[in-house]
Order: sequence, then C-alpha cells, then structure tokens
Amino acid sequence: MAMNGPARSRRAWIAPGVLLGALLAYALWPWLPLRGTAPPRTLIVYGYSAAAEAFQQAVLPAFERVWRRETGERLECVTAFAGSGTVTNQIIMGVPAALAIVALEPDAERLAAAGVTRPGSWRELPEQGVAFRTPIVLVVRPGNPRGIRDFADLARPGVRIVHPDPLTSGGAAWAVLAEYGAGLPAGEAAAEELLRGVWHNVAAQATSARAARTQFQNDFGDVLVTYEQDALIDIRRGRLRGEIVYPRRTVWTEPKVVIVDRGVDSRDRVAAARLAAFLWEEDTQRLLVEHGFRSVRPELNVAAALPALPDAFRVDALGGWGRAKREIVDAAWRQRVLPELGR
Amino acid sequence: MSDSRGSGAVGRRSGRWPVGLLVLVLLPIILMPLGAIAVFALRGGLAGFVSALLTADAQFALRFSLLVAFATATINAVLGTFAAYVLSKHRFRGERVLGIAVNLPVAIPTVVVGTSLLLLWGPIGLLGRWLVPLGLEPMFTPFGVLLAHLFVTFPYMLGAIKPLLDELETTYEEAAYTMGATRWQTFRHVLLPALRGGLWSGTLLTFAHSLGEFGATVMVSGNLRLRTQTAPLYIFAQFEAGNLESANAVAAVLALVSFLIFFFLLRLTERRGGARSE
Repeated sequence: MAMNGPARSRRAWIAPGVLLGALLAYALWPWLPLRGTAPPRTLIVYGYSAAAEAFQQAVLPAFERVWRRETGERLECVTAFAGSGTVTNQIIMGVPAALAIVALEPDAERLAAAGVTRPGSWRELPEQGVAFRTPIVLVVRPGNPRGIRDFADLARPGVRIVHPDPLTSGGAAWAVLAEYGAGLPAGEAAAEELLRGVWHNVAAQATSARAARTQFQNDFGDVLVTYEQDALIDIRRGRLRGEIVYPRRTVWTEPKVVIVDRGVDSRDRVAAARLAAFLWEEDTQRLLVEHGFRSVRPELNVAAALPALPDAFRVDALGGWGRAKREIVDAAWRQRVLPELGR
Repeated sequence: MSDSRGSGAVGRRSGRWPVGLLVLVLLPIILMPLGAIAVFALRGGLAGFVSALLTADAQFALRFSLLVAFATATINAVLGTFAAYVLSKHRFRGERVLGIAVNLPVAIPTVVVGTSLLLLWGPIGLLGRWLVPLGLEPMFTPFGVLLAHLFVTFPYMLGAIKPLLDELETTYEEAAYTMGATRWQTFRHVLLPALRGGLWSGTLLTFAHSLGEFGATVMVSGNLRLRTQTAPLYIFAQFEAGNLESANAVAAVLALVSFLIFFFLLRLTERRGGARSE
C-alpha cells in the first residue's frame, strides 16, 4: 500500500465518493426542510389484494377530499395490500392498521380472536360489514380454446388451472366454496367429487388472487379462477388477454370491512369509522361499480351491465362461513382432497 | 478484470476452453437473467421507463432504500470495526463463541432474522409487549427496517477488517504504545491507515447488501407504501400486482447502483492485491 502514493490513492476515491455523495443527496432531498408545509395526518388501511386499485386510485382519494371538506384537516391514507390471510396475520402481528378490508369473514373472526377488534363488530356496520360483492369467475385464453363453460369442465383431463392458495388468499377460499357449491345440487358426495376433480388439475398456486392473475398473464395455464372484478379491470385495461366465463352456479364473494380497535388512538378511530361509513354512501358505491365491483345497492349495478347470475349463491346458502369453513375448506378440501392428491 | 494482468500469480495457464466453458455456464445462471431485466425495463421505451421510475411510490422506495443503506453502512462500519478490533486484539474466555455469534447472520436465513426481530420487538414480542404500551414501537417503522439491516449485514464489515488486523504485526502497536501513545492514538494513527482499504470495501459491501435486503425487511416493515416499503419490497409488490414495467424500472436502477458499487469494490481489492505483491 505504501507504493501507491497518497495522491494516487486519493484520486482513486473521487469516482466512488461522487457517486455516494450524489446518491445521498438524492435520497435526502424530500426530507430536507425546504418546504414549510406540515405533514398530513395519516390513516393506515390494510386490504386484500384485489381491492388495491379501487381503493388506491378512487375510494381513498375521494375520502381524503371528503375528510378535508368536513374537518378542514389534511388526511393521507397509507395502504398495504396483500393476500387476505397475509394481511390478517400482519394485523395480528401488530402492524398499525386502523381499518382492514379482508376478503372473507373467517379472517375477520381471526382478527377478533386475536383481540384486534371486538367479536362481530363488523356486523354492526351496514349490510353486516359487506360494502361490495363480486362473483368468482373463470378466465380463459382468447377464443376459449379449451371450450370451458363451467366448473365441471375444469375437472376434464389435461386442463391446467391457475389457482390462488386458500391458505393465504381469501379469493382462493371463496373459489373452493364455488367449486364445491357448483356440484352441491347433486348431493354432497358429488360436490366433493367435483372439488377433487378441479384440484387434480391445479397446476400453480399463488399467494394471492393478484399473484395468480400475474402467473396467468405470463402465459401460464389454461384457465384462471378469480374474482370477476379483478378480471374485469385487467381486461378493460388490456393487461389481461382473455375472456370471462361465468359458471352457472358460482359464489358471491363478500369482503368484510373491519374497524381495528387495538392500538388505534381515538382520533384515528374517528377517521376510520368515518371511512367505514363513507364506503356505503352512494357516490362511493358508484366508484366501486366503476372499478368492477357489484354494489350492495342493486339499482347502481344497472350501469355496469354485467350478467345477472340468477343461480349464484351466497355463503349463507352453505350454512354461513362458520360451517362452510369447517366442513368444506377444512374437512373436505384440506383433510380429504389434498391428501388424496398427495399434496 | 484483475486476472488478465496477472499480479504475480503462479502457474497460470492460457487454455481457452475452460474460460469458454465458464462463460457458457455463467450465461444462463447469471448473465442472461440480468440482461432480461435490462431488455424488459426498456421494452416500453425510454419514456415509459422514466415515467415508471418517477411515480411517488417508486421514488420513495428508492430513496428510503438508499437512506437505510447509508445508515446501515455507517453504523455497521463503526460497530464492525470495533468487533473486529476486540476479537483480533483481545484474548478472553468465550472468544470463539462470540466470534461465531457475530458471524451468525451470514448463516441464518433472512426470513428467520425478520421473525426473530418480530418475536422480540413486535407488539406481541418478548420486549415489545412492554414497550408498545409506552408508545415505543420499533417494528413496522423505518427504525425496525434499520434494525433488521444492521443484523443481517453485521458480519460483512467484520470480514473485511478482521483479517487485516490479524495480519498486522503487533510490533507497530507496541512501538507506538511504548512511545507513550494512548490506545486511541495508536488506533487512530497506526491501525486506521492500514485498515483504510478494508474499511471502504466493508462499508461498500454492507451498503450493497442493505440496498438489496428482502427477507428480513418483508417481515418487519409491514410493507406500507410511502412509509416502510424499500425498493426490493416495491419490486416484489409491483410484480405480484402484475405491473411488470414498474417492477422492472426499479429493478434496473437497483441493479445498476449495485453494479457500480461492485465495480468500485473490485477495483479496490485489485489495487490492494496488487500493492501487496509489489
């Protein structure tokens, strides 16, 4: 090292020094005290993956404006979206959420069991905490080359299904109910047979409905089982090349809005309660319809001109989520179908 | 880049085919995937690339990652040098155990690091349970991300400094000592100049690792956009959401910055290697 003169060794540090200096200046720039505005108050919203676009782009910005008009205070909604099970686990682990939108009631029940919210608190909201619905549908490749019309066609040999993972994805748990419920008119044995047939052909499992869609979009598989709303917004935007196939009997998914009690200060709780109420207002419901959801007010759905699905059922038809989770997701799917398929 | 100049290595052959074979093996494993990022990042044209980079989320993620990397590199440069000094210059009971403990983060999966931090500092964790009611909540904040990065990158500084200290003859120190220099003066004027190259390479290595850290960060950050979402988390979230352009633009920038850092790192080690054999 002594051979390198000090001048030479100093010159060698100019380039990395300049690079690091530039990176530091760039990184610090927004935090330098150049502008005088106080940072806005934040409200943290966690949601299941498919709700991301509607909330980030439409619902929450609209709420920020309403809040400012009503209180004069600048509010910024900070969000995190992932699979419903993942979101639920994160909130149980203590992320600072004030409001959660989970894909299905068992996740809300888990939040209550962990003391995050009062048991059943979401049922005190309008419509039992359901602000929007969307059916589970099938997305096939353009022209439907496999001729898929209903869940029964998914059980045909050689069909490769892209399916989210029911352990982390709410949409996937709903899809299991749809696959079982579609066969239920022929009896419980036939329903389980259909579920087994479908799962025999599941070629890829992703952690969330969103991730499953990304796999399908990258040309994997013949058919994607997902939310109508998620498929609609992607096809409209030209990101997903495919066609929606409506099964005759499918399930209406009903995400739940949950106001978090644990670790939320009183001012945030007021804002979270206001946001929850805001979701059922007519303008918000229209925004949700624009983003592919079906409103809880039937008259607002006319504008979207989506198929009526007279044979679609709600989870109540299966005896409610408590029974559906116990007998269909846990007993039939996890304890019988998966082991039989060797998974 | 250093091998062609042959800094005094013995028995080097000029055979072509092993080199060709190595390149052939490296192509699908390393080189082609990196090329794919560049190709996809620029597929939507330069305008698309720039606009994907300029969204508030992407800008925040990049800046946040850089700040965390700077903080991690600075803190671990000091802590790592101190650890290397203690382990190299002091003989004590439990030295081996401590030596293994400080190197442990290399061997532990980063997801496990994240989990362990949550189970200690998180709201349901051993210490967090008592701290959170006091309003001290390190997890799911930028501070939690910093803690995770300090943990994961701790051994890199140590690895860069300790071999240099071990090699350094104690006679210089003893000489300084007998001439009446204090322990700090000895360190400042005798040890530090000898360590300069190692300090830089250790710091850069720590910086680069922090910039790309994913496993531990995803556990402790809560993945809040515009709050705790680092660039790697942003890339993953955008990829999962199907926004390949956004994911790729940030991935390309991250790859470029890491490449530059690595480039300087290589030049540095090359110079040191050359100096030693001169």
